[in-house]
Amino acid sequence: MRRRHLLALSASALAAPALITQPARAAVETREQHGYRIRTYNVRPGSGSRDVACNADGTVWFCGQRDGTLNLLDPRDGGLKVVNLGPGAAPHGVVIGPDGAAWVTEGGQNAIARVDPKDHRVQLWKLNGGPSYANLNTLVFDKQGTLWFTGQGGVIGRFEPVTEKMQVWDAPRGYGPYGIALTPQGTIWYVSLAGNYLAEIDRSTGAPRIVEPPTPQQGARRVWSDSRGRLWISEWNSGNVSMHDPANGGWKTWKLPGEKPRCYSVYVDDRDVAWLTDFAANAIVRFDPATETFLSFPSDKSGANVRQMAGRPGEAWGGESGTNRIVVIDKPLA
Amino acid sequence: MRRWMVATALMVAAGGVRAEPCNTAAFEPCRACHALTRDAGQKPGPQLAGLVGRKVAGDPAFDYSPALRGARDKGDVWTRDRLEQFLADPEAMYPGQWMGSPPIRDARRRADLLCVLGGR
Repeated sequence: MRRRHLLALSASALAAPALITQPARAAVETREQHGYRIRTYNVRPGSGSRDVACNADGTVWFCGQRDGTLNLLDPRDGGLKVVNLGPGAAPHGVVIGPDGAAWVTEGGQNAIARVDPKDHRVQLWKLNGGPSYANLNTLVFDKQGTLWFTGQGGVIGRFEPVTEKMQVWDAPRGYGPYGIALTPQGTIWYVSLAGNYLAEIDRSTGAPRIVEPPTPQQGARRVWSDSRGRLWISEWNSGNVSMHDPANGGWKTWKLPGEKPRCYSVYVDDRDVAWLTDFAANAIVRFDPATETFLSFPSDKSGANVRQMAGRPGEAWGGESGTNRIVVIDKPLA
Repeated sequence: MRRWMVATALMVAAGGVRAEPCNTAAFEPCRACHALTRDAGQKPGPQLAGLVGRKVAGDPAFDYSPALRGARDKGDVWTRDRLEQFLADPEAMYPGQWMGSPPIRDARRRADLLCVLGGR
């Protein structure tokens, strides 16, 4: 039986670090490929721009893992606001919470961070009592407003914003918990990169139920749900994208194009199209499940390394961590 | 006994070698992707056995990023100094490399990790 690693109540959020917002502007470049428009925003050198989250007002948050910042990009004018998350910060994942705030897996301080949508005040809740470095990775809210998160150091956890109660559990097979997703049915699933599995979390107990992907040692890195609750998984070791349907227990697997693809991330858009990233091809790859065809969008710069994607209807967003750019692909109506 | 202590002291003075054992906990965050042995099986990242003194991109079983393959082709070797510089900011040294770890800003943590990786 899994050992409960931590049952702790964070009495209160830590004092917020001084808010630092540095007004700046990102230059944008536009090109076209396969009839799609690709815009890249040169955000900030040295930021290591990676995971993104789209606000309803059109702005986009992204993590600057390399310089410890959370950044807000306004694509309409390239406006950029920079929020320093504190000493030693190294944010990995970001999502928009039901309160409209940006919620962050702040690995550098081993904490969950909240950045207020209005004044950008930073609050931190450390994983007190748990591992000193959980290597916090990715997070998602369930439909009841509970935040679920993973730590590559071998943990999964949840945080209740209303009560500030945090719980952390050891994950099966130790190291590896990475991407995490919510389905339309309200279930929470995560994948383990080093553990090579997909798992559904029992939201009442926190206990995971492992579902073995068909490809051994596949390196399941990220997961996203489509509108039917089917789980799409990017497989780093195998170079596959796979799909699990919890309704019937079935799996389907497709190899990305190229000799030795490295499928890092997956995002499923509002039309149930899967947007993948392939490090070997230095490309964002669109996969249409209806036709089972891939469409590749190589970056115009080497070593782009898009580690996560997200979006809003009609727009697929990602962070080129290797070039310090934010990229968006869309298909404007003629 | 006294002779052994003198020899150790001389070694430390001559080579800057740490007399105390390595802090193996420094490698814990790396274990999600890396192993320190050659027979650990497939991991998300390359094995790091005997890393110091090894060629950059030197695990034959791992398909490295073009950035690290280019460094290997150029003849780069993981010296202790190069490795310390890399850990301090991997992306600054080899832009576009695939490892997603943030910079290790704390010198003590880098030193502990270098000790585990064989640099002592």
